[in-house]
Amino acid sequence: MTLALHLVAGVDFNTLPQQLVNGLLLGAIYALIALGYTMVYGVLRLINFAHGEVYMLGAYVALFVSYFMGFRPDATHPPQATILNLVIMLLASMVVCSIVGVCIERFAYRPMRSHSRIASLITAIGVSLLLQYGGALFLPNSPPPSISESVNPFHGQSKEFTLKGPSQDLVMLVEKAKPAKDQAQAAYQGWLTSHPNADIYNLPADGQALKEAQQSSTDIFNDAEHKVEAGGVHLIIQTGQAVMLVSTVVLMGILTYMVLFTRAGRAMRAVSHDFDSAALMGINVNNIVTFTFVLGSSLAGAGAMMTATFLGTPLTTFYGLAPGVKAFVAAVLGGIGNIPGAVLGGLLMGMAENMVVWAGYSNYRDAVAFLVLIIVLLFKPGGLMGSSKVEKV
Amino acid sequence: MRVIIMRRILTLNVSALAAIAVFAAGCGCGSNSGTTAGTPTTTTTTTGGTTPTSTAAKRPVPTAAGNTATGDKIVVGMVSSLNGDLKPWGDDSAKGGQLAVEEFNKQNPNGIGGKKIDFHVADSNSKPEQGKTAAEKLMSDGALAIVGEVASGITAQIANAAYEKGVPVVAVGATRTDLTDIGSNVFRVCYTDAFQGPVMATFAYKELGKRKAALVTDLKQPYSTGLSNSFRDFFTKLGGTVVDEEFYNTGDAQFSGQLTNLKSKGPDVIFMSGYFNETGPLARQAREQGLGKDVPLLGGDGWDSREILNTGGDAIVGSFFCNHYNSQETRPEVQDFLAKWKAKYGTAPGTTMGALGYDGTMLTLQSLKAAKSADSKDLMDALDNTENYKGVSGNITLKGMGGSPHKRALVVQLTNDPNAPQKFVKAYEWDDVFGAGGGPGAAPAATTTTK
Repeated sequence: MTLALHLVAGVDFNTLPQQLVNGLLLGAIYALIALGYTMVYGVLRLINFAHGEVYMLGAYVALFVSYFMGFRPDATHPPQATILNLVIMLLASMVVCSIVGVCIERFAYRPMRSHSRIASLITAIGVSLLLQYGGALFLPNSPPPSISESVNPFHGQSKEFTLKGPSQDLVMLVEKAKPAKDQAQAAYQGWLTSHPNADIYNLPADGQALKEAQQSSTDIFNDAEHKVEAGGVHLIIQTGQAVMLVSTVVLMGILTYMVLFTRAGRAMRAVSHDFDSAALMGINVNNIVTFTFVLGSSLAGAGAMMTATFLGTPLTTFYGLAPGVKAFVAAVLGGIGNIPGAVLGGLLMGMAENMVVWAGYSNYRDAVAFLVLIIVLLFKPGGLMGSSKVEKV
Repeated sequence: MRVIIMRRILTLNVSALAAIAVFAAGCGCGSNSGTTAGTPTTTTTTTGGTTPTSTAAKRPVPTAAGNTATGDKIVVGMVSSLNGDLKPWGDDSAKGGQLAVEEFNKQNPNGIGGKKIDFHVADSNSKPEQGKTAAEKLMSDGALAIVGEVASGITAQIANAAYEKGVPVVAVGATRTDLTDIGSNVFRVCYTDAFQGPVMATFAYKELGKRKAALVTDLKQPYSTGLSNSFRDFFTKLGGTVVDEEFYNTGDAQFSGQLTNLKSKGPDVIFMSGYFNETGPLARQAREQGLGKDVPLLGGDGWDSREILNTGGDAIVGSFFCNHYNSQETRPEVQDFLAKWKAKYGTAPGTTMGALGYDGTMLTLQSLKAAKSADSKDLMDALDNTENYKGVSGNITLKGMGGSPHKRALVVQLTNDPNAPQKFVKAYEWDDVFGAGGGPGAAPAATTTTK
């Protein structure tokens, strides 16, 4: 029945710009996580399934740092939120995540490196499960804690852009409905002031009549107002989300610089090109692998800190599961091992999900991620920007 | 398949019995005269044996014998979510149960017929499968009855396991409507979603004066989908329209796409039927999307937790939801309960499950006392005969109700006062919403006539 309801649901082109922006914001985070998958795969040919758990730990680090700075949910007078707090949380998450990532590589993946690749893959799944279920033993998860919105200096702030105004006669409609609404409201308020002890949800008949008159006139007014609103094309961007997008772009810029213009980056590309030859050329492969994990994990930590802070999601040890899977799909979509591909894949995934929602099928939002994965694997196994060389994993 | 066939045969029988009952109604109860031919089926209790009643007859009767008390103990079990997502509820439910047992023991120093109550609490970890395992363990330990759980999914598993063994289950906070159809061993002390959806629809339509509702449903929770449907059905029946329904999955973080769609449809009220974990961020993101406070947010009892105020922040303050109990109520049962709770645990219960856990356990113990003998089968009969039991969360009548009482529901409002986060707004009785004798199922007529 619900399916039938949604099959007839039309699409509203006036909300398309907003949905594209939503998709962009969502996709930027997927891209940030996908970079970690793709870089590790590029260097080690290993799908680091524990990456989502590194992301989860990053969110917890941000939580603890926010607690430490005094932004506890039960705090009656939390300190004034500043950008500095956010920067501290971001850096802490990035640092702790890189340490975790390096430790995972050092103790779980390096001993397995000389074994078959499937062994490393199973180890990665093992580490992921260890962090999910083991983490539940010492991380607070029931009830799920969340980062207090008081830490966010941009909370509740947003900017509205009007891309196209509504037509003039619609605006007139609102003007026409306004006096009736004001009059009814005044009558009801007047009655309420003359009956100071009245319970507004259990009114006597005369008060109830005034209340209903006020409600129905407000209804007409709101209806007109909504028509004006829906007649135009608006774009609302929350300041927090804009900050998130800008930080993501900055981090990706730093990553690009490091990979393309530093010695370590060059070495990393060499290792990813040919692991054994790079070692023969005098590159310390272990250091480069560590470097790769530092980069990937710190990006995941940054992404986790931003989503946990700006979206206010409750944290459990499974916090990284869904974003991890989607980011993995994004990495595959872009061509796993390819850095620009991961960004493209992430953005496309975010867009695809929001387009499904826009079309009125929000019940299939998660399905689209896996549909995309199947289609890509069927028709372009190498991904959009990856090499189409078939590999045996 | 077999169940379906069996139910068909049973419903045939019921209609036949109903016809007999119409004749029977002529002699006995004069107050039945106002009801229609299909309704006075409560009089079919004369058939003897399993004593089925109108709705109970539709429910399969367990054939297993159940447990009998041995030695000088009567074991009563409780399954509760002491860990996992529902921990705030599970903790309160277990505390309420312990409080009830303590009080019962004080009132009955000799126990029941010389047998002492032995109360076992097992953890379901908020997971249906683990709830089932916990229930099976309790039953093999000799539990005569199982109290719990706080959520419908877990309770369904427990109820199925208990049906196999013939042990009664008294659900604490499981509101899914069809839950008690599992078997005649399933009872509950809370209202159902078939009631709380209409309550919130009535509140939105009549008190808030809203006409265009949007629904936000958690696709992964049967509770949420069921509640959304019952809200939609009643809101449309009242004359309102449902302009949009958006979906998400448990654990989602980003709702901006759904909320953009929802906003473009111009609802004047939003009903969010999911649990508190996602509702907080949802509310926050809805406000950020520009859905102002003139569009109130409504929800069901899945909102009941202090956490919702942490995750939702300012955005959720002022929203309304349906609850079972409120500490601001002046009824003596509520104030008595609060005093006892504070004496034992120091603070007031954090969620409504404290009161429901207490009611569920106390009802079970009182029924044990009333039962002919200390075994599961007689306890089941005693539970099924509960009439006008004065619970903390309202009066409970199970006689002829098929396990689901027609209880009152309260609309409460979230505030930012840490000492009273839930402000009492309005109480709805069954008849206030459906009119006298109305509502889903034929059972309501029976309650009005038993008075």
